[in-house]
Amino acid sequence: MSHEGLSKMTKIEVVASGADAAAVRELFRTAGATGFTSLSGVSGLGHNGYHQGRLLFNEQAALEMLITVVSDEKVDAMLAGLRPLLAESSGVMFVSDTYVSRPEYFR
Amino acid sequence: MSVLSETETSARAWIRTEANLAGRFLAPVWPIGTFIAVNPLGGLEDLPFAGALQRAGELLGARGTMPESWFRAEHASGRITDQDLLAAMRRRGLLSAEPVRQQLGERSITEAELLLLDLHHGQEAPPPTRRLRMRSELAAADVAHAVDGLATKWCAAFLDCEQASWKMPGREQGFYAAWKRLAWRDPSVSAGTRRTLRELPHTPEDAALAALDGLQVPPEQTREYLQAHLSRLPGWAAHVRWRGEHAGDFDLLSYLAMRLSYEHALMSDANTAPPAQAHDAREPEGGAQPRASYERALDLARGLQTSAATTVRQLADAAEILERIPAGERTLIWLDAYESHYRDRLISTLSADPAPAHATRPAAQLVCCIDARSEGLRRHLEQLGDYETLGFAGFFAVAIRYRDLAGGAASALCPVLLQPSNEIHERARDGHEIVAARAVAGRRALAGAEEGFHTAKDELLSPFALAEASGWLAAPLAAAKTIAPGRYGRLRTRLLRSVVPPAPTQLSVEQGFSFEERALFAEVALTMMGLTSGFAPIVVLCGHGSSTENNPYQSALDCGACGGNRGGPNARVAAAILNGPDIRRHLAGKGIVIPEDTWFVAGEHDTATDTVELADIDLVPAGAETALGSLRSDLREAGRRLSAERCRTLPAAPAQPTSARASRHVRGRSSDWSEVFPEWGLAGNATFIVGPRTITRTLDLQRRAFLHSYDADVDPDGSALETILTAPLIVAQWINCQYYFSTVDPVTLGAGTKTIHNVVGTVGVLAGHNGDLQLGLPWQSLADGKRIIHEPMRLLAIVQAPLQRIDSLIARNTILQHLFGNEWVALAARERACDPWQRHTNHGWQPWLNAEVST
Repeated sequence: MSHEGLSKMTKIEVVASGADAAAVRELFRTAGATGFTSLSGVSGLGHNGYHQGRLLFNEQAALEMLITVVSDEKVDAMLAGLRPLLAESSGVMFVSDTYVSRPEYFR
Repeated sequence: MSVLSETETSARAWIRTEANLAGRFLAPVWPIGTFIAVNPLGGLEDLPFAGALQRAGELLGARGTMPESWFRAEHASGRITDQDLLAAMRRRGLLSAEPVRQQLGERSITEAELLLLDLHHGQEAPPPTRRLRMRSELAAADVAHAVDGLATKWCAAFLDCEQASWKMPGREQGFYAAWKRLAWRDPSVSAGTRRTLRELPHTPEDAALAALDGLQVPPEQTREYLQAHLSRLPGWAAHVRWRGEHAGDFDLLSYLAMRLSYEHALMSDANTAPPAQAHDAREPEGGAQPRASYERALDLARGLQTSAATTVRQLADAAEILERIPAGERTLIWLDAYESHYRDRLISTLSADPAPAHATRPAAQLVCCIDARSEGLRRHLEQLGDYETLGFAGFFAVAIRYRDLAGGAASALCPVLLQPSNEIHERARDGHEIVAARAVAGRRALAGAEEGFHTAKDELLSPFALAEASGWLAAPLAAAKTIAPGRYGRLRTRLLRSVVPPAPTQLSVEQGFSFEERALFAEVALTMMGLTSGFAPIVVLCGHGSSTENNPYQSALDCGACGGNRGGPNARVAAAILNGPDIRRHLAGKGIVIPEDTWFVAGEHDTATDTVELADIDLVPAGAETALGSLRSDLREAGRRLSAERCRTLPAAPAQPTSARASRHVRGRSSDWSEVFPEWGLAGNATFIVGPRTITRTLDLQRRAFLHSYDADVDPDGSALETILTAPLIVAQWINCQYYFSTVDPVTLGAGTKTIHNVVGTVGVLAGHNGDLQLGLPWQSLADGKRIIHEPMRLLAIVQAPLQRIDSLIARNTILQHLFGNEWVALAARERACDPWQRHTNHGWQPWLNAEVST
């Protein structure tokens, strides 16, 4: 697959409970992310069994997926905050290389 | 490009997370203006109940149960029996299947008798002691006190933004920046400290890191050290946690940066070297430790007067048995027995009759909030006629932001578990714009006069002129409010009506909700409450609120499902939706056929006066007017009977009043500005019952039960039950834990006595003029002097639904695994009315009522 003309960045995806999502968003912001995407009410099967998706009257107990893309020099700071946070909760994190067409949006 | 190195930015992210994690043990505390009951140990719910109490003891020095002496007094009064204790021990596997005898000197007793003796006579374990300490607590106690005092001062200055005449400059930049700008100018600290504060870094991250470095706190001890700071004033810390999550201008990191900076600066100025450990290495205060099991065995032998003949081997054997219940955990057995005594009797009285209460169409249906106070109104109304009552979360499934006729800021009327996405406005009904305008003008004039009065009171010279100008009126009014609160209240209502005339209004329901949203709401709400057929001609959706005077905790008496607000607007929205012809057509397509002659009416139950106000009754179709008239009359009578019932437990109320006198009494109480017991609120709450009303209709549940209607037959996929267990149950459990912990430790987890409370804006109250923000409920919400009104028990959830369905819901919701698996909430269930009740345990379902346990 060709990445010609694209800029390499790092994508960080976090799945956390609604109660933890605010802390993750705050870390994204203070560690220099210029934006993020969030998907609420995600469901799936994980280490602690099946996780229900959307709950009708409880947004805090449902899982949320938060996605951000940052330049490589910001990754260590991001991980320094996320690692201990996720170690204390049932959340998970995926870090991967990604390529973007508008790098200035993410710096 | 950033001028910071990657190491610096990593350190900042790390300390931010450490601050966040350090504060997890504190449940966020809402401002008192929209008081939300929370479990003060909510941050520890992922631990088993016993483990959470131990952790709370170490972190806060908080007591997690009533003291053993209190339980023993309850045993003496008959509230707990030995059978309850034995059953509690057996459930925990502490007794052998066959009675084992133990020799103590010449006495032969069973292991059960030995454990009972220890429960009754064993030396009480010392109360828990806060174990994490700040450096300054160990090296310079005056510095620790100074840090607390300064933290309180600046928190109050920043947060008291709605009442303070002089607002803290720079608030818009957030707490840390505003504090940093002023802290070095504070004359209450020394010149040396001010010099240090003047050089503080620009970010709270850097300030916290620098102070921790100066205090020589190693990275691996950082979280505990931050917890040592947070646990000094847990009320402020818990509110700051809420503020950080909801307003964003003041978070725990900023709070900790301030505290750590003060501690470091003050200790440096005093030239005090920080000691090496954050932990308190000393013995608990007073040097007391729980008795070891051998000593406990010896105590019992002495009590039995067999110690002279008792051998060391016998004592060792007895100690081995006693080891099963460490002295510090005996109160958990007592609590279990205390709860079981109530629960077993309740379970045994629940109806096993599967027949519906109404074979014919009822005259009217009243859907009340699940709030335990509704049970009294429902019970009395049912006794007056052919009425059916139901229970549902008091926001009636419409999560709204509501702006009333006067405009102003919108209120979130929904559980705090939700973010409302629909905004509803109240506006004049067509043809009534002029009277509505008069009402708005009157309300604004009153608000302006009140603001002017308070401003004049707070200025330097104007109070003298104010006293001259208004003293002739203010003094008699104050006297009337005190001497004849009932008459004063009626007079005030009449005056208010002349200034703010009642104006017919309507709500912007169709603008606030799309058709799809209204259709979803209608289907979900009716299915959740099991009301999908058998509609009466009148169905009242009855929210609730409480009218009290001079009561900072007024919001705590309003509807928890409406975010600590009155629930009338939600009921009006829900009724308007369910009366919509387009929605009824949609529901009919889903198999829910609402008869043409059925009309939904919104109401609001005032729990302080036991009155029910119905809204928009002029819209009721002509054919239903007679039924409505009868219902209104019966609601008035039900309210009067409820008042008489409540008077029996309200302090200084008439003991055996007629219902009319009781009604006058509670109305006067509601208007009395000196009344510290306006009503008992949810004191006594103990159980959450999910099922048809037929289970409880014949019972007097003494306003102790949250009642949620549910019909498992109309919810085959369990989605309605899942919603009930993951939202209304959660709100009920928060309320239950707030009452529980405020009772068992009123100083650390409650709010102490009202009589010394000072209000900090709309934020909360202080006990006295300084110190910590109070965490929970005041003592006057729980007890009358030394007489405890709220029996401190954990919540019992009772559900009538297939057990397999309940199991699958628990399996896919972590929050339910924590509540039921960790013993924060007990769960009883049965599939059908004719089935025996089962107890949920971590090893499967067990019959609830076992045969009597022998010693």
